[in-house]
Amino acid sequence: MASLTPILRPTSCWKTLLRRSRQQKMCIRCLTTFEPPTVPLPPPPRLPSSYPSPFKLSRGIREPINKIKTYPPPPSARNKYPCPLDEWTAMHLKDLDPTGSRTRLFARNNPDVPNAGDILLVTFKNGDPFAGYCISIKRRGVDTAILLRNRMMVTGVEMWVKIYSPNVTAIEVVKRAEKRARRARLYYMRKPKHDRGSVEGEVKEYLKRRRLIRSGALGVKDPTMSAKRPEQAKSGVKAS
Amino acid sequence: MIQLKTLLNCIDNSGATIVECVRNMGMKRHGGVGDRIIVVVQKARSMGDSGPGNTTATGGANKVRRGDIRHAIIVRTRKKYQRKDGMVVRFDDNACALIGKNGDPIGTRINGVVGAELREKQQSKILSLASMHV
Repeated sequence: MASLTPILRPTSCWKTLLRRSRQQKMCIRCLTTFEPPTVPLPPPPRLPSSYPSPFKLSRGIREPINKIKTYPPPPSARNKYPCPLDEWTAMHLKDLDPTGSRTRLFARNNPDVPNAGDILLVTFKNGDPFAGYCISIKRRGVDTAILLRNRMMVTGVEMWVKIYSPNVTAIEVVKRAEKRARRARLYYMRKPKHDRGSVEGEVKEYLKRRRLIRSGALGVKDPTMSAKRPEQAKSGVKAS
Repeated sequence: MIQLKTLLNCIDNSGATIVECVRNMGMKRHGGVGDRIIVVVQKARSMGDSGPGNTTATGGANKVRRGDIRHAIIVRTRKKYQRKDGMVVRFDDNACALIGKNGDPIGTRINGVVGAELREKQQSKILSLASMHV
């Protein structure tokens, strides 16, 4: 009797029961990980020969690619100018130093090249001449410059002078250092302990001597006048 | 590079020897040669030198006294500065010359070297007073 009870229930109950079982089935379906092996798709039917295959390059497609005109790369500037910086420097030096005297004066192979520690006198086109100890020389092509240090009325004054500047008319060596400096840059001369003071006396003596030589009173030949090529011998020496 | 609290040597004969910058004129961060600044006199020469009959020797020895606030023109800087022609100039100290509110120098003499930039900055009066310029 008891087992027959659900059957004897009204049909509406059957509806709920079935609904429940359907939900359970859905849950089971979701949890399954098993997948039946997929059947591979049958190969596509053979296409007519007029339709070109996208994977196979036929002669009909390749030919137009070859017909596109290609151009050679433009001529490389590197081949035209192998050392552009050198040429640029030479171009400017041709204008700034036509005789090449400044270049020769500060060339490293010049036996009389001014060194750090020498006293140099620079004359300007406009402005007073400036003399001082050469503390450092910066060789950078057109930017080549010398650093001069002097004491003017107790105050130390330093000046970088570009040797190729059009404003510079002459660079003269007033006095060589007695002993070769063991440094290339004598920045220690800024310290009071090593400061050598003013070069006024040396410059005055040099100018006096130069005047005597040029007048011929000393009986010494003026090197700038007696040279084979006076224009080139004047390595920045100011013509009197 | 003269800025607030920079101590400068005063190289004119106004009586001040050491002054301190308190302001740069013209909304500038740093002052260079030829710039106008406001200074406080920190150290002045002793007042005893300028008695009657001694005026020629001392000039304007007591025109300023310690604590005065004055205008000044920078004439030398330790910081190197470059000119238009490529030259770079540097002095060993910072120095200035005192001027009045109207721009005329207070001292009558400037003993020391000054920068040539003063001419460009329309400070030719100070430049002509100076015995030497670079």
